[in-house]
Amino acid sequence: MKKKLKKLLGPKNIFLELEAQTKSGIIEEMIERLADNGLIEDRLGALKAVVEREEKMSTGMNNGVAIPHGKTDCVSKLIVAVALKTCGIDFGSTDGMPSTIFIMTISPASRSGPHIQFLAEVSKVLRDSASRERLLAAKNTNDIITVFS
Amino acid sequence: MQHLMTTLVLQVAVIVVAARVFGLIFSRYLKQSRVLGELVAGMVIGPYALGSLNLPLMGQSLFPKIEAVMPVSPELYGLAVIASIVLLFLAGLETDLPTFLRYSLMGTVVGIGGVICSFFLGSSAAVLFLPGVESFMHPTALFLGTLSTATSVGITARILSEKRKMSSPEGVTILAGAVLDDVLGIVLLAVVVGISKLGAAGDSVEWGRIGLIALKAFGFWIVCTVLGILFAKKISKGLKWFKSNDAIAGVSLGMALLLAGLAEMAGLAMIIGAYVMGLSLSQTDLAHELRERLHGIYQFLVPIFFCVMGMMVNFAAMKGVLMFGLIFTALAIIGKIIGCGLPAWLLGFNLRGAFRVGAGMLPRGEVTLIVAGIGLSEGAIGQDMFGVAIMTLLIASVIAPPVLIKSFEGGTGLRSRMDVKAEEAGCHIELNFPSVHITSFIANRIREAFRNEEFYVHEVNIEAKIYQIRKEDISITLIQRPEGIELNTSQENSHLASLIVMEEILELKDLLQGIERLESPEGLCTELASGLFCEAFPRSTDDKKEEPGE
Repeated sequence: MKKKLKKLLGPKNIFLELEAQTKSGIIEEMIERLADNGLIEDRLGALKAVVEREEKMSTGMNNGVAIPHGKTDCVSKLIVAVALKTCGIDFGSTDGMPSTIFIMTISPASRSGPHIQFLAEVSKVLRDSASRERLLAAKNTNDIITVFS
Repeated sequence: MQHLMTTLVLQVAVIVVAARVFGLIFSRYLKQSRVLGELVAGMVIGPYALGSLNLPLMGQSLFPKIEAVMPVSPELYGLAVIASIVLLFLAGLETDLPTFLRYSLMGTVVGIGGVICSFFLGSSAAVLFLPGVESFMHPTALFLGTLSTATSVGITARILSEKRKMSSPEGVTILAGAVLDDVLGIVLLAVVVGISKLGAAGDSVEWGRIGLIALKAFGFWIVCTVLGILFAKKISKGLKWFKSNDAIAGVSLGMALLLAGLAEMAGLAMIIGAYVMGLSLSQTDLAHELRERLHGIYQFLVPIFFCVMGMMVNFAAMKGVLMFGLIFTALAIIGKIIGCGLPAWLLGFNLRGAFRVGAGMLPRGEVTLIVAGIGLSEGAIGQDMFGVAIMTLLIASVIAPPVLIKSFEGGTGLRSRMDVKAEEAGCHIELNFPSVHITSFIANRIREAFRNEEFYVHEVNIEAKIYQIRKEDISITLIQRPEGIELNTSQENSHLASLIVMEEILELKDLLQGIERLESPEGLCTELASGLFCEAFPRSTDDKKEEPGE
């Protein structure tokens, strides 16, 4: 799975500094960028899936990590994105702290695959404070890939 | 003919009721496995006990003693054979083949160690203590060796779940080893049946011919299994042509019986064919449906199998071999403790942990009985040795639970400090829900979610609803109780377990909110209830629409 983690990440889905200032803005910007890079065709469908999941319960976790995700058949394979907002943003996290690291996954609703397992692997890496610090200090996409490899 | 059928129907009636009653008494009051109760039921109502008493209405006894190799009627034994085919077909369907092929080195080594050591000690007992058995290749030695190899992990799984040790290093090792034990035991049976048939034909048994038979038996098993797996998707597609799940289940069972017959014709045991058929279909999308559909026939036939096996215990024949029975049982127990414990110790467990692994592999079950039944019908073992087999099964299965519970007292079972730290940091998720239905809904959803993540979900104990969820080196245990669910895994995999459970609880919340969003559930119910207790049956909404035109 670690190999796959590294394989899934690249310049097209790593966004070093997001511009949006709100929770919905962050989600929209990540999906926009994925669509601009040709990874998503139906941006509205993808946005709807992630927002619907977010409405059930915020995906803002502890220690500045958020994992917005959704399931929709407008994607045919697992789409992932890693993004940073170093100044932090209110994402409704469980510890009330601003979120700085965003891991997004959009997975096909009717196809099986290690989708949640991907999120679990990522969160396993990010439970380590040193890894989170290295991620936030990343200067380029390679620095981010190195944290997950 | 009429009389024969009447007797058979009456016999089956008594067996079905007695097996159920004894099974219930054993599981509810004696806290023992239901299988032991069913076996004891057979002993009590069989031809060597109450069954031999004359019944005034019948003018004879219900289970008259039959002076043949098998002490029960061929019709009744036939029913038990069909039951054993169903049992092994379902066992094959439930086998987690990818795990068997891939799963931890520890389980494999422990399983193989247990089989080799028990086989050696079991056949040695025959050679050392039984007159006329001079070689390890004697059919009696071979059968006694084989019947001491198989493990029935159901009892162990229940205890591990009660002690919350399913995901402990010992628990995972036992469960992986038991899967291998089953497969090895069945392949071993194929070889032993072949050799004993050769012996029965009066041919001298030479090493070359033994090798040939072993090759033939293993070849049949491996060729059928590989073909079955290769064509599993095609078979599954062909079965779906029936478009009815009941028809699919019926035809699959028919195919299992067919392969069982072919295996017997090839000089092997019938259950091998049934097991291979189940194993082949175990990786198709039909496996779950087949298990569900055949559960009813399993519940009906399998107690008959255990009861009939109990009926074949001849107490008088056992008198002379009681001491041998005790020695054989002791060796069967030592075989598992050493055979499984030693490899476990060599691979990182301390003595306490190694003993736990060995004790977990102690209980014997259906495969032991099937081997004994085949041995008896082939003439390889007599009624005395059949009794010894039942005695071993009963003693090993009765002493295993207290020994295992006691063994889990005290500290860790691992040698390395780092491993101990990892073990202590295990993750335990326990959630309670307000009703059995909600628990069942969530547990089903969690199992499905793991399957969607390409995990293999294996039901370890049907009664206790214990599931092993595995993929590569990840192992998670799900226990479904009436009041809630419990998940156990290592700290490393806690994120995955938490995320999956969290997503499914959110689905439940969504479902409940969806019900709340229904405009008027009470209105819908009132409409449905309006036709009840009326003379006219409630008409459909379409009928109502047509009313103005009438």
